[in-house]
Order: sequence, then structure tokens, then C-alpha cells
Amino acid sequence: MAEEPFFFSHDRVQLFAMMHTPAAAPHATAFVMSHPFGEEKLWSHRVYVSTARALAARGHAVLRFDFRGAGDSSGLTPDTSLETHLADLRAAVAELRRRLPAVRHVGLIGLRLGASFAALAAEEGVCDGPLVLWEPILDGEAYFQELLRSNLSTQLSVYGKVHETREVLQEKIRAGTPANVDGYEIGKSLFESCARGDLLQPAAKRYGGPTLVVQIVANEKLKEREDLGALAQAYTAGAAARAVEQPFWREIKPFCARASNLERVTVEWLEKLNA
Amino acid sequence: MHKVEAISFPNAQGLTLFGTLHAPEHATADLPVVVLLSPGVKMRVGPGRLYVPLTEMLLERGFSVLRFDFYGLGDSEGELAETLLADVYNHIEVGRYVDDTQSALAWLRTRGHRRFILGGLCGGAITALLTALREPAVEGLLSLGMTVTLASNAAVPGKYMTRVQLDSRRKRYLKKVISPTAWLRFLSFKSEYSVIWHSMKRLWEPKKPPAPASAAAQQNIEQRGNANPLFPPAYFGFLQRGGHALMLFSERDRLQSEYEEKFAEPFALQLQPFLAQIHKHVIPHANHVMALHEWQREMVDVCRQWTQARYAS
Repeated sequence: MAEEPFFFSHDRVQLFAMMHTPAAAPHATAFVMSHPFGEEKLWSHRVYVSTARALAARGHAVLRFDFRGAGDSSGLTPDTSLETHLADLRAAVAELRRRLPAVRHVGLIGLRLGASFAALAAEEGVCDGPLVLWEPILDGEAYFQELLRSNLSTQLSVYGKVHETREVLQEKIRAGTPANVDGYEIGKSLFESCARGDLLQPAAKRYGGPTLVVQIVANEKLKEREDLGALAQAYTAGAAARAVEQPFWREIKPFCARASNLERVTVEWLEKLNA
Repeated sequence: MHKVEAISFPNAQGLTLFGTLHAPEHATADLPVVVLLSPGVKMRVGPGRLYVPLTEMLLERGFSVLRFDFYGLGDSEGELAETLLADVYNHIEVGRYVDDTQSALAWLRTRGHRRFILGGLCGGAITALLTALREPAVEGLLSLGMTVTLASNAAVPGKYMTRVQLDSRRKRYLKKVISPTAWLRFLSFKSEYSVIWHSMKRLWEPKKPPAPASAAAQQNIEQRGNANPLFPPAYFGFLQRGGHALMLFSERDRLQSEYEEKFAEPFALQLQPFLAQIHKHVIPHANHVMALHEWQREMVDVCRQWTQARYAS
């Protein structure tokens, strides 16, 4: 297996990427991984790396990359939006196809907001291979409220009280002043395009490729999420699954270098498709 | 427009480490290369992309910057065996990634670089210092939140907290004394009793006179609590050979009070001859990761001033 880091340009930004290529001739289906937002990207990074390596060991080429305004890519978070994320995904798929012309199908794998971006990109015809959505964010409004809560926690721990409520922060974002969440500034364009209750609706989808929606649960006893089940059913070739994992996309006591159950669920589903 | 290239190099075990090398538009040949080291388990851009604005400033001033991932972290090869974050942190604090940093410097030497500044946040800062002890070509230390302890606070809450930390906790507890939720936590065994006890105990405990500075060096590891025994010899070794250090801290970060109470106070006498080589700055209100952009800006400004003072262009 080979791992090659590189930058590629599109839309006046430079995106950092890492290509994982199998030792033998790659499988006809390759993948692009779509990372989650903010610190969730950093906490889940090693799971992305281990999954990419596991897929490459099974013959799939995998491209991981940083969206503009994230990681090593150029740009700043306030300049991003749903549209820029979809454009970056489209460019990453094109870059993978350009580098590996023998690849016939490109699938997408994403976690949390990265999964939502992947699903929305699939609707626009960005991919034609398996679509894997790990714990996708369906309700963007609730998700961004959760992010803003982190801003309030910072205010509380630093100043002992909340100077700016979530309502104030939202008003400021809409007026053009970004709100800081753990060092990432959420700007108007990202907020208005993604902080929507209907970001990813479990309604009939155009994308007809095989799709796996995975609910990640901390233990088996936790209830199945009906909305994720409904999302899987919204795809003509959709399937739902559950994987027991700690929420590795945030700071928890364990060190999560890989998510073995999630990886197994994903790989087994892909192997069934191949069979 | 500066140039950035994705790079890789092998470490001493033959594992490939990945990173990015940033070169300024107008390179100044006699400036050292700045190597920014990853904090904790976060990858090479740092939490909240902290290293991005710092890199931009350094490039504007003509420095080249290398950021890379240690083995088992970020994009790099290798696996870590630990299952708990605190254990990973502990291993970093005793020098796990010194070898990787030396490999980075060896790779930079193959590109013609001979002088270095090492920097980083928290685990990156202690790795920078421990490497500097072994690498005479490291002339500067750009430390953001130096950790002078071992990550054992999580295992024994309260036992090793500084006076500043305990006083801050006590204020918070006293504010919550009429909160039903707080009492519910207390009565349902969910509170950190050890921390509550140690913080309240300070109200009636007689204030201990500070230990004589000359005695600090003689204290064994147990007497110095969770202080990292590797820190003082590495710091003094670096200063004795003429190294310069920017010691930047965040006010609301335990690392700042730990540096004061567990190092600067007990070693005050030994530090005296080197004060001119140390520039210390505390960013008011800032938290550990300098999350707000005004804190990041202040960090960048202080680093700019430090580099201007040391390397006038």
C-alpha cells in the first residue's frame, strides 16, 4: 500500500489530500472521505486514517482531503458554506479520477456533518459508487445550536457568565460577525446554508447507488434512531446498520485510534456489495 | 505568495511521518527554520487550526515552517498501544516524540537547513524542550503553554492541583452552594469529593512559606508531586548553552499556575541568571487552546515581537 500526500488546486484554493493506493491494481471502486466539522475532524482523524488503510488493504483506493478552511487546506472557515463544501467534494472526486483513471466508480464516506455533505453531494451526482453515512446530521439547526452551546461553555469557563446568548450569537452571525466555536469561526454563509432543520431530509432521494446509513451507539441497549432508519429507506438501495462505538469525534477519556466495530460494519457491507 | 509542499520522511524506526513544509515568498538565508510540534493527540495544525495564523506570521517574517505528525498520530504511520488519552499524554511528557523531532531535524538538514527554533502547544512545547537538550542547533523555544507536570491529574483529582486551581474551584463551588442540581450531584456520589476537600481545606490551612529555592533541586520526585522530573534539567540545560525561550501561557489554563507554583517559585534562585533569555507572557482570560480569535491574535503578536527582537530582518 502506498500513501501519497499532495495539494491540489481548484476554485482559487489549495486543498490538502492523502491518497491511499493498494499495493496491487486498485479495485474498480474507490472512495473519497468527507470529514466532519471543527474539532470533530481532529478527534476523528485517526479513525479516518485507519478506515482508509483498512479499505486500501482490501484493494480500494481512498482519497482523504481537507475541505477549504480546515486542516492544511487554504481558506478560512467564515468563507465556507454548503456550496463550497459540495464544490470541494466534487473537486476531490475529480482529482481521484484524474490520478487513477482505471477507477470506474467513486463512493463517498462521511461522518456527522461530513456525512451530510456526502449525501447532499450524491444528490448532485458527485459520486456513482457506494455512499456510506456514519451518524449523519439530519437537523442542521439542532447541530449548530449544539456548536453554539460550546461557545457559551467557553464564555462560562472564562468569564464566569454568559455575555452573549445563543440568540445574540445567531443575530451577529446573520449580521456578518462570525461566532467562534473552539477556534473555528462560523460565518453567515455556512450558518445560513447548513443550520437548517431540513438539512438532510429522510425523503425520497435521487441517488440510486448503494447507501449505508450507520447509527453509532455507545452501547447495544440504546434505542434505534427512527430518523436514520427512515433516511436509509429514502434511498432506493439503502440499508441501515448500527455500530457500537464511543463518540470518538469528541474528547472522551479513551484514545480512539480506530473504530473497529464501525470499520467492520462498513467493510462487511461493502464486501456483500462486491459479492 | 508563500510555497507549501506536502512532505514525508522516515523516523528512526522506519515509519513514514507526514507533514507540510512552508517556505516564505522571500526566504532569508540566515534565519532558522521553525518546527511546530503537534500538541497531544491533535494533528499538525493544532486545535482550532492554531498553528495556521502562527505559520502565516512566521512566513511573513521570512521563516520557513515545518509542521508534521508524530508516529501513531495524524496522517503518520505507526500505532499507539494506549487505550486512554491520559496515558498518551503522559508518554509524550516524558519524551516519546523526541526521536521523531530529531528525525525531522535530520530531514531538514538534508535540505540544507542548519539552525532551528522548536515550538508548539502543551505536549508540543515539552517535546520541543526535551529535543533541544539533545540538539545544540536548536537556538530558540517558542513555547505555547509549557507543561511542567505529568498527566496524572486525571487519575487523582485534587491531589496535585495548584493553589490557583484550588482557589478557582472553591469559588465555583461556593457559587453553587444554593443550587439543587449541585446538591443532587453531591448526594448521588457524582461530585469530585477530593477536589472539594482540597479546595476547602485551603481556607483553614496555615499558609506554608515557600520552600527555600535552593532546596528545590534536591527534592526527589515524590516530594515534587506530579512535577515532571525531566523539565528542570532540560530547561536549565537549554538556557545554560545560551538558548532563548518565549514562554507564552493562557491565564485560564492550569499550565500557567503549574509553571509558577511547581517550577518558577521553587527554582527562582536557579532561574535568576537566565531571566534575560526568557520572555514570559500571559494572555489574559485565554483558555488552554486559545480558542477565541482575539487570544490567537495576541499569541501571534507576541510571537512576532519575540522573533523581531531575536531576528531583526
